[in-house]
Amino acid sequence: MTDLPKSNDLTATWTFVEPGLQLIIGGSEENSGVTPQMYMNVYSAIYNYCVNKSRTPQNLASSTTNQSSLLVGAEIYKKLKDYLITYVSSLKKKQNESFLEFYVKRWTRFTVGAGYLNHVFDYMNRYWVQKERSDGRRDIFDVNTLSLLTWRDVMFKPNSDLLIKEILEQIRLQRENQVVDTRSLSVAIRSFVLLGIDTQDLKKQNLDLYTTLFETPFLEATKSFYAAESNEYLSSHNIVDYMRKAEQRINEEESRETLYLDEHSKKPLTDALNDTLIVAHSQTLYNEFNNLLDQHQIDHISKMFNLFNRVPSTLEPLAKKFSDYIETQGLNAIDNLLNDTQNEASKESVTNEDGSIAPKKPNVSKSQVDPKLYIKALIQVYQIYQKIVSSAFQNNPIFVKALDSACRSYINVNSIAKPLNSKSTSKTPDLLAKYSDNLLKKNKDADATSDMSVDDIMIVFKFITDKDAFETHYRRLLARRLIHGTSSSEEAEESIIQRLQTENSLEYTSKMTKMFQDVRASNELKILFKEEVTRDWENSKNIVPDFQPFILAETMWPFNYNKTNFQLPTDLVPTYTKLEEIYQSKHNGRILKWLWSLGRGEIKANLSKPGKPPFTLSMSLYQMAIILPFNENDSYSIGELMELTGLDNQTIIASIVPFLKYKILNQSPLGQDNLKNSETKISCISEYKFKRLKINLFNGVKLEQKQESDDAEKEINDDRKMFLQACIVRIMKARKNLSHTNLINEVIQQSHQRFNAKIIDIKRCIDLLIEKEYLQRGENQTYEYLA
Amino acid sequence: MSEITLTSSDNESFKVEKKIAERSILIKNMIGDLAGDDDDGFEIPIPNVRSTVLKKVIEWATHHKDTSFPDDEDEDSRKSAPVDEWDKEFLKVDQEMLYEIILAANYLNIRPLLDAGCKVVAEMIRGKSPEEIRRTFNIVNDFSPEEEEAIKRENEWAEDR
Repeated sequence: MTDLPKSNDLTATWTFVEPGLQLIIGGSEENSGVTPQMYMNVYSAIYNYCVNKSRTPQNLASSTTNQSSLLVGAEIYKKLKDYLITYVSSLKKKQNESFLEFYVKRWTRFTVGAGYLNHVFDYMNRYWVQKERSDGRRDIFDVNTLSLLTWRDVMFKPNSDLLIKEILEQIRLQRENQVVDTRSLSVAIRSFVLLGIDTQDLKKQNLDLYTTLFETPFLEATKSFYAAESNEYLSSHNIVDYMRKAEQRINEEESRETLYLDEHSKKPLTDALNDTLIVAHSQTLYNEFNNLLDQHQIDHISKMFNLFNRVPSTLEPLAKKFSDYIETQGLNAIDNLLNDTQNEASKESVTNEDGSIAPKKPNVSKSQVDPKLYIKALIQVYQIYQKIVSSAFQNNPIFVKALDSACRSYINVNSIAKPLNSKSTSKTPDLLAKYSDNLLKKNKDADATSDMSVDDIMIVFKFITDKDAFETHYRRLLARRLIHGTSSSEEAEESIIQRLQTENSLEYTSKMTKMFQDVRASNELKILFKEEVTRDWENSKNIVPDFQPFILAETMWPFNYNKTNFQLPTDLVPTYTKLEEIYQSKHNGRILKWLWSLGRGEIKANLSKPGKPPFTLSMSLYQMAIILPFNENDSYSIGELMELTGLDNQTIIASIVPFLKYKILNQSPLGQDNLKNSETKISCISEYKFKRLKINLFNGVKLEQKQESDDAEKEINDDRKMFLQACIVRIMKARKNLSHTNLINEVIQQSHQRFNAKIIDIKRCIDLLIEKEYLQRGENQTYEYLA
Repeated sequence: MSEITLTSSDNESFKVEKKIAERSILIKNMIGDLAGDDDDGFEIPIPNVRSTVLKKVIEWATHHKDTSFPDDEDEDSRKSAPVDEWDKEFLKVDQEMLYEIILAANYLNIRPLLDAGCKVVAEMIRGKSPEEIRRTFNIVNDFSPEEEEAIKRENEWAEDR
């Protein structure tokens, strides 16, 4: 074992350790030549020097005043520092290597050596250095840091310009697809980070050196490289190629980034790439967007989205273009449908000219568009772009919103629903209700409804602005299906109500739900009625046992009660009386108003040849009242029929036409106009020939369509007024005092789930409420609630 | 399991499990720096420690090979932790040996052992008068009476009254 130097002799100690240091820091290979023996000798020599010096008595004299002098190290630290400076200064580049090569090779070796050095000087680090630093000396460092700082000052700083120049050149070559030594680049760039030492707080990483000396010029070089490249590329390639190129460039840079850049540069590099490759060319890309949509190039659209998605602020303009495009597509689809319908109609009128039937008006009114074709056209556009949103735009919320707003626009306002600038309300709710009716009605033609679905209804419903209008139209048609028993399935009906409720609100479907309850209660009443009649059959001979009553809550159903002078046929009076009796016994005090016009029934008519079965005629109650008197007499004048039934002339005409058509009744003199004359005679034939035994006379009754739709319109408007007033009162009751603007805003907000409230309507309602003294005007355009 | 050979100043070699040897941060660093992947049979001279002391240190390290000690940086918990019972027994040795163990722990950079040794010494001082301390550590009083009076006055604040 080598003898260690005398512990109190600095020069001897240093002379002893220096050859070891030479090997540790500068040996040609990573650790060649350093043996455990040597390592321990150096460590022990430093240890002995520090320990024994600290123990020597001469230091004790001042010990009471300055304890730090107990620890020794300053001289050896100074020796080491000088040694390192000399060593780093002695490193010289060889002729045949680039500075970068030289730097990386030396730096790699040096950092390994610095680590060893730090360990063999551990004893000094542990006591002397730590004590000095905790005493506030900021120019004393642990040996590893001291080594790095020496490198920084002696090697790095004087040569940094050259180093960066060579690094950037290598990166440029790599971008031009040349093979470069990425490991060297990584080591060189990493040295900028490691040399960023905060001399105040050694644990803190300081990236100033990296950012100012490397990152800034690197980003500059990156920007100018890609600005030049992208402009050049776009001038000779199409957009799709460019997008591919940009995507590839970004991927390359990202993998490069993980290869040799510090985490800190990630964001600025991304920004630089986004700026030069995407934002700078965004307009060019936007301009191509419609073409891609026209050609349905999902992959390319997806690529474009992925590029723009890197810069969220660029998505809005794209979404706006998308939205506009969809709206145009929606409007075009409806325009085409309208044209087709009109062409179809004019063709029909042409062929009909040869026939006997009068030609239709060539200009088909909008309501004659087939609801199914219309709804399907709306949905088709939605579905095409919904697919694009999910496949190309990954259901990005901005594009989901763009799709929604486009759909809301073309679904509510288009050439069929409501021509632009027209003041009328949109026809879409009406057409959707009709579509639903076609789907839910019993239908002989199963094919016609096979491609219709509740999902379709819900898609369009979601986008309808006037949800209240849909409710009104839907409820009218539902009422008819319920009363006339034309619904194909109760289950289907209820499932739609359920879905509408989920989509909108419990309140929205409350009336319809009540209608179902009424129908159910009426069915129970029907059973009860039949039981009563069967039990007491002695006194019930003149009562119709299979009687289906409908007891409807007046405000829930879309039927208006008009007092009429209608005379119930005497044959039906016992049934009527019995029902009133049973109902009153169950619900004392309730008033039943009879909607005669909705009544229907079947009559057996013995008009057949002798021996043949009788005909079954189904007809309205009014028709019944007209036909029953012919049991007594073969002929009546219109005037007499009016008197017998208590019906007005118009109703008589509407009801009697089907009989005339089927030639069960005859008219004299003939002619539609003569029906208005109360002298005209109506007579019944005595023997009837017809190929079917069941005849439906009810379907021939002309319903007043126009009246219906006007009623619906009126109902919607009235409901809206009520809703707005209720809304205003509710808000004012809670707030007591509110400014005009705030009140209007709150009302709009509260009503948008049902319809888009117009400010003028809200103002009218406010005026109305002031008149009724619910509110009064306060100062500065405010309102006060009056309790 | 790799083994390391440690050789004392008086040339006695000890074969030690690497994990045990690495209780010394000095040895741990050195193995990391020099040994590479194949560290089996690595030989380390310990020029500053006699074999009897090195043996004791290895005994301590073997006992504590799986102990996890508080972080070096966490001065508070290091200072306040009481001396481990086993350590207390282990350090019941003559003063010369105790002193050498403490020096070896300092030299080899074995913080927990150094701490335990210093705490044991501190226990020997606690609650004793200067005269008793002198007796315990065999120290000759070389103060003049005036000097002693001056020191007492200076440190009056520390008196336990």
